[in-house]
Amino acid sequence: MDLPFPFALPLPTAFYLTAYVVTLTAHVVFMNYVLAGTALLAVAFARPRPRPGESIAILKDWMPLMLSGAITAGIAPLLFVQILYKRGYYTANLLLFNRWMAILPALIVGFYALYLLKSQWLTRRPAWVRAAVAGVPVACVAFTGYTWTENHLLSVRSPSFWGDFYATGSQVYTEPQLVPRLLVWAFGAVPTLAVVLAWQHWYRGTGRPRSIAGLAGVGLGLVSAAAGGYALAADATTREAFRSPMAWPYFAAAVAGLATQAGGWWWVRTADQFHARRLLACSVGLALTIGGMTVCREAVRIHTLGAARFEALYPAHADAFGKGGLVLFLAFFTVNAGLIGFVFWLVRHRTVAPPPAAHGPH
Amino acid sequence: MDAVLYPTNDFGPLMKGLVIGGLGIFHVFTAHFAIGGGILLTYFQWLSMTGRCRCARAFVDGYFRYLVLISFVAGALTGVGMWFTTIQVSPVTIGLMVDEFHWLWAIEWTFFSLEVVAGYAAFRYGSRLTDRARLTLLALYSVAAWMSLFWINGILSFQLTPGAWLESRSLAAAFFNPTFLPSLLYRTIAALVVAALSAMVVVNLASELTRPEREELVRRAAWLMAPMAAMPLLGLWFVGAMPPDSREWIMGGSIAMTLMLNIAVGASALVGGYALVGLLRNRLYVNGATATVLCVLAFAATAGGEFVREGVRKPYTLRELLYSNAVRPEQVAELRRTGLTAIDPFPLRGEADLPTLAGRPHPHLRTGALVFREQCSVCHTVAGVNALPGLTKGWDADMKRQNFAKLQRLKPFMPPFVGTPEELESLVQYVTWLEANRPGEWPDPAAEKAEYAARLARIRAWLDEAGPHPAFRRTPEGSR
Repeated sequence: MDLPFPFALPLPTAFYLTAYVVTLTAHVVFMNYVLAGTALLAVAFARPRPRPGESIAILKDWMPLMLSGAITAGIAPLLFVQILYKRGYYTANLLLFNRWMAILPALIVGFYALYLLKSQWLTRRPAWVRAAVAGVPVACVAFTGYTWTENHLLSVRSPSFWGDFYATGSQVYTEPQLVPRLLVWAFGAVPTLAVVLAWQHWYRGTGRPRSIAGLAGVGLGLVSAAAGGYALAADATTREAFRSPMAWPYFAAAVAGLATQAGGWWWVRTADQFHARRLLACSVGLALTIGGMTVCREAVRIHTLGAARFEALYPAHADAFGKGGLVLFLAFFTVNAGLIGFVFWLVRHRTVAPPPAAHGPH
Repeated sequence: MDAVLYPTNDFGPLMKGLVIGGLGIFHVFTAHFAIGGGILLTYFQWLSMTGRCRCARAFVDGYFRYLVLISFVAGALTGVGMWFTTIQVSPVTIGLMVDEFHWLWAIEWTFFSLEVVAGYAAFRYGSRLTDRARLTLLALYSVAAWMSLFWINGILSFQLTPGAWLESRSLAAAFFNPTFLPSLLYRTIAALVVAALSAMVVVNLASELTRPEREELVRRAAWLMAPMAAMPLLGLWFVGAMPPDSREWIMGGSIAMTLMLNIAVGASALVGGYALVGLLRNRLYVNGATATVLCVLAFAATAGGEFVREGVRKPYTLRELLYSNAVRPEQVAELRRTGLTAIDPFPLRGEADLPTLAGRPHPHLRTGALVFREQCSVCHTVAGVNALPGLTKGWDADMKRQNFAKLQRLKPFMPPFVGTPEELESLVQYVTWLEANRPGEWPDPAAEKAEYAARLARIRAWLDEAGPHPAFRRTPEGSR
């Protein structure tokens, strides 16, 4: 592993790992939007007299679709993780059992609560009911995130540890790095939300750049602090993984991404309205950070598994790689991506009335 | 060839098959609703924009709300739930299927993504789009939803009828397997029926519609049920394409399978008869209560059909590839020599509840509990649904020994016993101990060494007589 990811790996492993990282990055964008967005909604609804701000209106309107997007985008990495780390992933699922399966009812409840937030019924309810309902989605999404992290950390433990854990009958797993690690992702959700929300404002010609930039700044500060905490809590293997030739260029890219985001948001806040070029700078920074950290996450997993355990997986990857269907997938992926683009085009260009968008065609 | 054992969870009194079956039935019903609903909405949009049925447009908006709330939320998440539940019940099965079909699953995902985007776009922006754009979006949604079914159906039908794949290992042969087409057509019609019946419920809930408008909408929706006339033929086609032993289970070989098939056929016949004679021929109106009853019957038909589809694969989860207890057929002979409990890395939970022998947990009961966990617990419980002690009640110890050793001969939908004679004897001891209400003391079955050795020899002979193969084996000429 003396080359940057994924060049030191055999082709099948590199291929599936790259596919996993790319699809997980897409999932993380949706997931971050939902996590930070539901938290923001909960804060807004917790006020006795919620002010109907533009950002809150957008979040309320878009959140069910974005949660649906997070779930849909999550299916692809779920597929690849099973090819890559089948035994560890399945074993962690089984060990956590009901606790793990509880994410499904939690997501269903959270999903319906998001629709309830959009309903007229809720506006007629007392303030405490509104606040309670608004707290449900963020609780459900946060629970799901916590459980995923727990599952991931358990999946990389040794088989003998799994045996001992099974004997206890416990369905809760914890270790010192769980919370710091979770906080990095949770606070990292805020800058992601800021970027996507800013684009949504840009499209509509609404929003105050200073307030969104402020939100992003708070998020960047928090995620930097959480990353520092994670570095302190991390064990030697994790640190070694970050320093390894496989990961360090990506870690450097993630840090550069943070700096780019900070600079981009400073640029955004100096204007009265959102400009595409300035938002593009923030977006590039965000992509670098999320992409870089996703690769680092895999590097930590591979280092934790150890060379012998990870290399033992190569034949299974090669076997899966030999199965047919990739060309067919690429063909359908292209066609369906084009059709999804066509749907966006249709919605923007085939309206009865002109679209209410600042940057739509007139 | 190496067997990988995963930790096994106890579902208490619930049979694992019932858990996955229950979730599967709900998911299939909502998925059928999403697929048929898309086709119905496209049809109604066309009726509206061509002036054939003016009130159809208002109905489309109302119906879409139910579709989004039910199908996009509960339907989508129970789909993920099916995946997670399958891992809980049989990780080896899902692992093998992911290895073989991951690119087909990925293709299905691209259609599912298109379905979600087109569906939300039509729901969110449909009211301000031109008629043609709205129709295009709904058509895209319908095609994407149906294509999702197309791909998943090929993967699911492979589990029962891998067909020519067993020789060629070709993905095309696996996908276009013998039951692919009849089940795809059958499911398409089922989706149309569920959508039409749901439409009739929604029509009766819409207070803004007049009675003549409701009558017209019900009559239009009823046309989607006309293909039900083909269901008996498709059913026969599917049954004809099944492996012969699976066909025997539904023809009386397994009373549960036969019963569930009868429920599916009976409920379908009632819905189909009402649709074809009452709605289409006599142009009757359906009120909300009747429409709801018909929906419940359609749910019962779905439940019966899915139960049968899952059950007729016995003793396999992947036909000729993997038994329901996650053992591969080619592993049986070797594991009868080496034993399955020897390679299980997971300890026995509740060991302290067992009686002791020489100050330690009773070794035979302990081994028997492990054998139960590894081989039986996927379909049987200790004291709940399909409990093993209930099924063996009245058998004496020697009957148990012989029947377990010749399991696939006794009940051809059972897999052959996997393990050594010692493990089989331990299972007999464990089940007998359970039947006796778990007494605090239990004798050592190996106390009389000569008799114990003779007993194991008898078990070995029975195992050898039964052989390591399933009751029905495929031969080059076909199945027997």
